[in-house]
Amino acid sequence: MNNNSLFLILQKMRTPFIVLISVYTISIIGLISIEGVDNDGNPYYMSIFDAFYFISYTATTIGFGETPYTFSYNQRIWVSMLIYLTVIGWFYSIGTLISLLQDRVLKKEIDKNKFIKQIKNLREDFFIILGYNSTTKKIIEKSLNKGYRVVVIEKDEDRVNELLLDSYTPIVPVLQADIQDPNALEIAGITSKYCKGLVSLFANDKLNLRIAITSKTINKKVPLAVKSTTENQSENLMDVGVEIVENPFHIISNQIDLSLNTPSIYQIEKWIYNMDNLLKQPLKLPRGLYIICGYGRMGKEIYKVLKKNKIHAKFIEIDKEKVDINKSDILVADADDKEILKNLDIENASVIIAGTNDDTTNLSLLSTAKKLNKNIITIARENEIKNYSIFKYSNIDYIFMPSRILINKTINALVNPMSDKFLYLLKSQTEKFASDLIEKLLLTIGNYPELFELKINKKEAFAISTLIEKKENNITLKNLMTTRDEKKELNNIIALLLQRGKKFYLLPDNDMILEENDQILFAASSEAINDIEYIAQNSYELEYVLSSS
Amino acid sequence: MNLEKVRAGFFIILAMTLNFGFFYGEMDSLIHHSKYELFAAIVVNLIATTLKLGDKTQTGSVLLATSLVADIQLITAATIWTVAYYNNAINPESIGLIISLSGGALMANFVSVILYISDALKSKR
Repeated sequence: MNNNSLFLILQKMRTPFIVLISVYTISIIGLISIEGVDNDGNPYYMSIFDAFYFISYTATTIGFGETPYTFSYNQRIWVSMLIYLTVIGWFYSIGTLISLLQDRVLKKEIDKNKFIKQIKNLREDFFIILGYNSTTKKIIEKSLNKGYRVVVIEKDEDRVNELLLDSYTPIVPVLQADIQDPNALEIAGITSKYCKGLVSLFANDKLNLRIAITSKTINKKVPLAVKSTTENQSENLMDVGVEIVENPFHIISNQIDLSLNTPSIYQIEKWIYNMDNLLKQPLKLPRGLYIICGYGRMGKEIYKVLKKNKIHAKFIEIDKEKVDINKSDILVADADDKEILKNLDIENASVIIAGTNDDTTNLSLLSTAKKLNKNIITIARENEIKNYSIFKYSNIDYIFMPSRILINKTINALVNPMSDKFLYLLKSQTEKFASDLIEKLLLTIGNYPELFELKINKKEAFAISTLIEKKENNITLKNLMTTRDEKKELNNIIALLLQRGKKFYLLPDNDMILEENDQILFAASSEAINDIEYIAQNSYELEYVLSSS
Repeated sequence: MNLEKVRAGFFIILAMTLNFGFFYGEMDSLIHHSKYELFAAIVVNLIATTLKLGDKTQTGSVLLATSLVADIQLITAATIWTVAYYNNAINPESIGLIISLSGGALMANFVSVILYISDALKSKR
């Protein structure tokens, strides 16, 4: 218990204490002023100590009997009164104390103190995650898997209890507080040097912006991952200095763009986000007639992409207010209607995208569409994670899930910032470059390459860092990529990206000489990752790799 | 006028005056020192302590500390008196101890009153 809660108790206990003291005093004064009779029949007066002793055991209902001598009737009349007085006084104080301990305010105060202590003792890298729901739950699980700790702030008590019941290992400290209160962020350790990021994925854009601003004022250095659903909001967030702005609808439209033009890059992106493997044939969307149901935030993003690619598209939106009058290619109607779909020439359409924010509508309109046109490619937007299995078994060709995209993107940006950068650079490359890269990855590493990041410093690459300090040998990327069994053989590794200061080298040359503080992203098999770690940390392994004979 | 302030001030000053009343007199005899006055001093001191509980300000904490010091000394004095009385050990030594302890409590009470008054003077209302 910390000062705050103790003071709260003390303050509320004032009245009970005073009642108790007064009752004792009145009783003692009565006892010492009433005349009694001792064993020999002589009159006597109780001493103060006798009276105090008698009161102490009577008030607490212990009752040792009449001391030091049997009482006279005068005394007994007074004692019968004081018994009621003192016992009531005691029960009142104890009752107040117990109700205080059960008090919600006090309980919250105690929980808060416990939380503060937990954060103080947290000496590992951690993320602060705001809100506890199915999306952040996945992020928490993945972060813990990657060896990061997580701290959660949640306003709702039921959700807090849910988190406590989920009992993660290692423990996830949770604070029940309103995130609008900047104090809560501070308590959660945003100023700590171990804080490696803050995730705010609320549906409310304004709230996200507010959090971004407060967090940046408290600690400029902490990377933020913030959700945004409109372009305007994204710009605002960037102005504040948010590192990772996540607009799920923008990501979806971006993916559609990729699979229209450079499907291999899209495939690599899916692999990096852990959503698919590289073996699958990349999805290439045809360039025919598109029917898009729903012209909300997602529909607008898709509209832009299709316009850019000069693809003929027809939109249906049920809500009149969402539609610009100027755009003639948007039909105001219920998309889940056979006649309307027929009118839109669905028999000749090549792709239908169900992008409303209602899962049932999306499912039902896609099955209608499939009936009307067997060859149509169906793309659905899935809103709720819990509907995952329904979507999975409903024969839909491609499912876009904003919340899952958020999870993967957040984790990736926080835990593997290099891979995020790599994707960004890759997107400016050609389709040929990407498909060659996939082929190369599969050929050298195998079917299931993994990502691995290494920073050349004392902590992650002790051996290399010390050798660079001595400036005797030049260590190249190739040295890192040889096997430990036979140094002439190259391991199953491809260096994807090397960052030196602010410069990025996409697919760096194997003869590149390493420098302190270089950051390298590798794709490798899990055994090869093991090898890299050994070579980087262990001086003997490094010596073997470097020796020329 | 703040009734709470009146109450607190009343008990804090009464604690000091009662303490002084008990302390004042010959140092080696109990003739001038009434046990009832000591009893009253202890009770009023305890009430004064309670009234200072839970104040988070700097002055509040120091006030509470002085009160606790006075309580401890007065209760010790009363305990010594009781023990000495029932063991027939009331002699100049124990009497001196009782009275000097109450003298120490008086000092604490004095500091407490000064703090209380200075705090009252400092406030602009």
